[in-house]
Order: sequence, then C-alpha cells, then structure tokens
Amino acid sequence: MKHRLILLGIIGLAMLPASPAHAQKKVTFLNVSYDPTRELYQEFNGSFSKYWLAKAGASLTIQQSHGGSGKQARSVIDGLPADVVTLALAYDIDAIAQKGRLLPLDWQKRLPNNSSPYTSTIVFLVRKGNPKAIKDWDDLVKPGISVITPNPKTSGGARWNYLAAWGYALNKFGNDENKARDFAGRLFKNVPVLDTGARGATTTFVQRGIGDVLIAWESEALLSLKESGQGEVEIIIPSLSILAEPPVTWVDRVVNKRGTLEIAKAYLEYLYSPEGQEIAAKHYYRPRLESIAQKYSATFPKMNLFTIDQVFGGWQKAQKTHFNDGGTFDQIQQGLR
Amino acid sequence: MKLNRAAWLIVIAGAHLGVPMLQAQDTSTAEIIKQLQKRIEELEQKVQVLESSKGNAQLQTNNPQSSQRIEELDQKVKVLERKRELDKEAATENAKSLPTVSLGLNGLIIRSADTNFLMNLHGYAQVDGRFYLNEHNPANDTFLLRRVRPIIEGTVFDRFDYRLMADFGSGNVNNSSAGNNALLDDAYVNARLWPEVQAQVGKFKSPVGLERLQSTAELLFIETGFATQLTPNYDLGVEIHNQLFNSPISYAIGVFNGAIDSGSSDADTTDEGKDVAGRLFFQPFLRTDYDALNKLGFGIGGSVGHHEGPLPSYKTPGQQAFFSYASSVSAAGEQYRIDPQFFYYWGPFGVLGEYIISSQKVKSSSANGTARFDDSAWQLEATYFLTGDDNSFRSTSRNAFRPAHPFTFGEGGWGAFELVARVGQLSLDRTAFPTYVTSGSAKEAASWGVGLNWYLNSNIRFYLDFESTHFDGGSKKTTALTARDEQALLGRVQFSF
Repeated sequence: MKHRLILLGIIGLAMLPASPAHAQKKVTFLNVSYDPTRELYQEFNGSFSKYWLAKAGASLTIQQSHGGSGKQARSVIDGLPADVVTLALAYDIDAIAQKGRLLPLDWQKRLPNNSSPYTSTIVFLVRKGNPKAIKDWDDLVKPGISVITPNPKTSGGARWNYLAAWGYALNKFGNDENKARDFAGRLFKNVPVLDTGARGATTTFVQRGIGDVLIAWESEALLSLKESGQGEVEIIIPSLSILAEPPVTWVDRVVNKRGTLEIAKAYLEYLYSPEGQEIAAKHYYRPRLESIAQKYSATFPKMNLFTIDQVFGGWQKAQKTHFNDGGTFDQIQQGLR
Repeated sequence: MKLNRAAWLIVIAGAHLGVPMLQAQDTSTAEIIKQLQKRIEELEQKVQVLESSKGNAQLQTNNPQSSQRIEELDQKVKVLERKRELDKEAATENAKSLPTVSLGLNGLIIRSADTNFLMNLHGYAQVDGRFYLNEHNPANDTFLLRRVRPIIEGTVFDRFDYRLMADFGSGNVNNSSAGNNALLDDAYVNARLWPEVQAQVGKFKSPVGLERLQSTAELLFIETGFATQLTPNYDLGVEIHNQLFNSPISYAIGVFNGAIDSGSSDADTTDEGKDVAGRLFFQPFLRTDYDALNKLGFGIGGSVGHHEGPLPSYKTPGQQAFFSYASSVSAAGEQYRIDPQFFYYWGPFGVLGEYIISSQKVKSSSANGTARFDDSAWQLEATYFLTGDDNSFRSTSRNAFRPAHPFTFGEGGWGAFELVARVGQLSLDRTAFPTYVTSGSAKEAASWGVGLNWYLNSNIRFYLDFESTHFDGGSKKTTALTARDEQALLGRVQFSF
C-alpha cells in the first residue's frame, strides 16, 4: 500500500507541468496579394503598422506575398497561411472559400462595396508616339500587331483583360457571342508570349521591349508611365472597358488559429479609411471615398465602363464560361495551335 | 567623300611629320619616312573600314523593308529570349514544389517542398552468436537474428510524427520460441501540440524503465540487464509527455493495456484493467555551464494496474529462463512497479543505474489460494570510450552514437572502441517458493559482465560480451541451468541502414 501511495504521488506530480505556457509571441502577419500591388501594400503596411502601434500598442511584422491572383489563391488553398488575401478578383477568393473551406461562402458581404476598397480598370500601354496608331480594341486584332497580356489561367489581371475585350466585342457586334469569340481569337493570335502575372507582362513589354501594346491594369500602366519618366510609353484609353473591383478579406481559419482576427479586420478596414484610400490613389488605384476620388480626379479620367455583373452575370458564371477547363479561352488556345 | 579622306591623310601625315623634325639629330630621315609610311597605311586601312561600315548602315536605314525585317527579327529574338526566361522561372517554381530525396547516415529521407511532410525509411539488423562456456549448459550454442527491424517514421502536417517498426527477428518476445515471430513493435502517432505537451497514441515503449527507453540499437550490452526485465516493454495506449531528455524536467504519463514484465501488448484479452504508467525525470544541470554535470539525470518511473492471465519468466543475460511460475499460477489482481533510476555522462565516461520493485497479486488453481509477491532487481552499468568519443544517453535512433573518427581503410580512422561493465541482481519473492513456482526455479540471480564494443561507423558495429551469472536456489541436477554459474560469451554484428 505504501508503494502505491508513492506511485500515485509521482503520477500526480507528473501531471503538474502539463499546462502549456502561452508565451507572448511577436505578431507576424501575412497579406497574400496579386501581382501589381507590391508598391501599394509596401506603403500601406508601413502606415497601418504605425496606426496599429498607436491604437493597440503592439508592433507588427507584416509580410507580403505577390504573384498571379489565381496562383496565389491556389497557394492559400494548399496551406500558405495568409491572414488576409487581397486578390485581383472575387472568384479567386471564392475558390479559397469553396475548395479550401478557409472562410465562409458569403465573405464578400463582410466589408463595404462588396469587400472591394478600391477599383481599377483596363487600359492600353503603347510605345512613345504610338507608332502603330492604336486607339481602341479593334486595333489590337489587326494583323501584325503584337499584343502583350498575361495568361488568364494564372492571372486575375489577364481575366479582366480578356473580359474587357469580350465585353467590347459583344457591345460592338450586338451581343453576338460567336463574333465575340472570333474577336478574342484574333486578339490572342497576336499575343506572342503569355506571362503568368500582370507584373511579368509589364516586364515583357516595358523592360524586354516586346510587343506594340500592353493590355494592363490602369494602376500598372500609370506606374509604368511614372517609372519610365513618360519617355518610353504612353497610355491609351479605350472607348469601353471593364470596372475591375479587386476584393479583400481575412482568412478565418488562419486568423482564428493564429489569433490575428482583430488585426486582420482592422487592417482591411483601414483600407477604407481616408489614409488607406489616399495610399491606394497614390498608387493609381481608384479610391471609393468621394473626397479622395475628387482629389485625384486628374489622375483618373472618366471612362465608359461596364461591370462584370452587367455583361457576364458575375464572376462564377464568367469563370465557368471562359476560364474553366474547356471554356472559351481554352477553345481559342486550341484553335491557335 | 574622297576629298574628306584625302584631307584626313594630309592632316595626319603633317602632324606626324613634325615630330621627326624635332628629333632629327637622333634618328635618320630615311627611318622616319619609313615609319610614317607604315603609319599612313595603317590609318588608311582604318578609314576604309569605317567608311565601309558607315555605308552599310546608310544602306540599311534607307531601305524600309530591311529596316522592318530587322525589327521583326529583333522582336522574334526578344520573344524567344522572354519565353526562355519564363520557362526558367516556371522550372524554378516547379522545382520548389518538388519533394527532396536524400540518402545518408539516417537512411532514405523524403521531404515535401514545404517541409511539412517528411518520411524516413531506415532500419537495423542484429546477428548474434551465443556461446555457453559450461559443458552441461542446457542451451545450445547458436547464431540467431536477434532483431531485424525496418522502420518507417516521419512527420505529417508539421506537428504530427509517426513511427512504424516491425521486427522480423528470432525472439524479442518473452517466452517466445526461437522461431521467427514477426511483430509490430512501434506503431504510433505523436502530436507535438506544444513543446511542453505532446500526445502519443498507439503502441510504443512504456515509460517505466530507463534502460528500456534506450533504442535497442544503442544498448551498451547485447542483452538488457535484470532491472529492465521487470519493466514492461512495448505497450498499447495513450500518453502525454514533453520533450524526453531535452528539458530539465521530463515527464510522461499514460494509460496502457498493461504489459507483463518484459512483455509487449497488442490487445487486452485477459482483463479489463488498465495500467497507468509514468516517469518523472530531472536533469537539473542540462542547460547550465557546468559541463561536468550537464548530463546528470535522475528520476523515477512506475506503473499501477490490474492484471490477470499469464505471468512472466525471468532470464539470464544468456537468455535462459531461470525462474518461471508454475503453470497453475496466474496474475490475479493489482500490479505496481516503482523504478528509481539515474544516469550520468561526462566526456567518454558514463554510468546508468536503476532499481525496481515489481509487485503482483497472483492466484494458484492447484493451491487454491492467492498471494502478492514483491520481486526486485537492480543493475549498474558503466561505459568508457577508449577512443575519447563523447558519451551520452541514447534514447532514440535519431540521437544514435556516431564515432568521431569513422573507420577508413588506410587513412587512420578506427571508429570508436567502448569498454562496458555491468553488475546486476534479480531477487524473487521468497514466499513464492516452492508452492507457486516451477521446481527448477532459482530464488535469485546475480551477474557481472564486461564487454567491448567497436563502432566502425554510424552504421556498422561489433559487440562482444562476457556474462557470468550466479544462482541462489534452483535445481542442482547436473543438466540444470541453475546447477552452476552461467558463463556466456555473446557476440553481435549490427548493421543499420
């Protein structure tokens, strides 16, 4: 009996260290974004870190990851621990919700403006002096014109480009889908190289000197114009383009596990604040906030824009029709081989 | 154009003509003229080359078709270069997602690109020789495959470790025959929830004995000591523990089926009782600057539970049974074990000791009665590396001993030589005699042994042990094991892969 008591005492003692020590860790935070937002989030992260330090008294290390939007979404589904995603299109976040089950399906209702704090559109970038006299989408399908656009299979920006062209063709040909398909086919016949992301396509056009015209995010085009000192390229505004609404959200499974939900929400809400909107506008994203939009009205000319819902019935439908395996893009590519 | 060329020549010639005039007294006029002529010829050639290339350029730029063609070719070259660049980027990206495969001292290791998944395929085989020096020893000299153990272990999702270890050897189960008795020793998953709390489920080594916790590929002697015989071996259950021997205080506590002494358990078929087994171990100087005390550890292990069914036999270091309960006797109630233990290592020296009491209620169908027997055992073993290698407790194959200077033909490396010595004793409860035991059983066995281990490298080892065991009690018939001291010469070749 004496031995038994000793033994039970030992076992009891052994259980004592069983409670885990929850030592406070330095907070790191990951924003997984798409290709051309590097500069935007570099500045935004600095601003938010200061804001958060003042508000919560905690210092943050915010990490960024950039790449083609579709590719980034796949990485998050495969386990990249993104606290927030700021991608090029809602469909990619839908994929994270549906395939990865990392956030609720109605994620888009959680923040204002369908969780899209800034907008953009699709424009053309041409060589200085516009030597090929490119003025509108029709010029892009002419023989001998070399068009640079990334691959819609991997790039969110490329999908916006594709749909902008398709929407223009539908408008021109009275919603004739066959003629729109033919238009898109002729356009992609003029594409000599498909980059995986929008930034890569800009590199192809601006730095490698390939192509006569780059179909680009307005933000990317304005940035290129700024960086080239307006000496190498110029922007062409097409007669009709698409309103791109890049969405943002937090990734519930990750923030709940890492305990960063509060930071993630504050981070995204800060995008809607005057400070966040100002930073977005400075980096050539069209702000939602009217006061900031007024301030930057010279940067963003008024354009004739259609929305994805108006012409394609939303992202899910557009994705299924055009970009899923066997969709119109695959059919066009098949025809070009 | 020709006028320009002529003017150039005159100017150059004139400029050079002025030089020799200043040096006329030192150089002959003929020599100067010769040098100048040569110089003029060289310059003339250069001018011709320049004029030729200038003419070509004018020809090209003046021809719009050529200009367009050049531009097209330039674009094609750029497109091809960019495609090559993109292919390289894609290949680099793909390479990042490919798993890495390596083959080395620890076997075959496959690791996923994100390092969250890892699989290590390795194992070891032990070929033993047992030779008994007494003429009348009942056991035959024999060679045997003591252990043949392929091991698959690894990690999934970063925090979940698993291990599968089968054994195709000739006899590592108590009371086994000499035939092959393949079984699964380790089969468990360990979740590293926090460094302080890990949960392990499956079949693995019970946390009671200290020598028992050493990998059987890392034992000092070919066979374990007497104290280890009173501890359970592989048991099936669930355990909470922290990083074993990697923190000043290590703990393990778990609920198991309850294996008999030296036995392993796969299922509880004899009773519903479970064992609670655990260990508390201290290494107070583990992370201090006191080098001489860094590897001092002491603690206590134990178990308590309810057992019914078969009871164990106990063996000599030569693996002959010197004690067995009578066939009419079986376990019938509570068993507990208490096992104080320690180790100490410093430089090439090391010592490990433990003492254990194993108390078990039994019943005898022939005597129609019940009793509780307290058996006890102790062992003390010492190790010293003649080659000066650093000594330590080797709990798993992952911290296996590696010689500082592996054996190499003709290059001076001899591996590591280790001298080992051990004394130990196992005492059975005297009140069990004679009613509850077989007639030839001894009441006590005491042994001493010495050995030499040669570690050629991390993968190949040779062991040679001499063990002498003296018995108190037991049969004194000429052919009985207990009639005289057992003197056994044991040898082993161990190959790890």
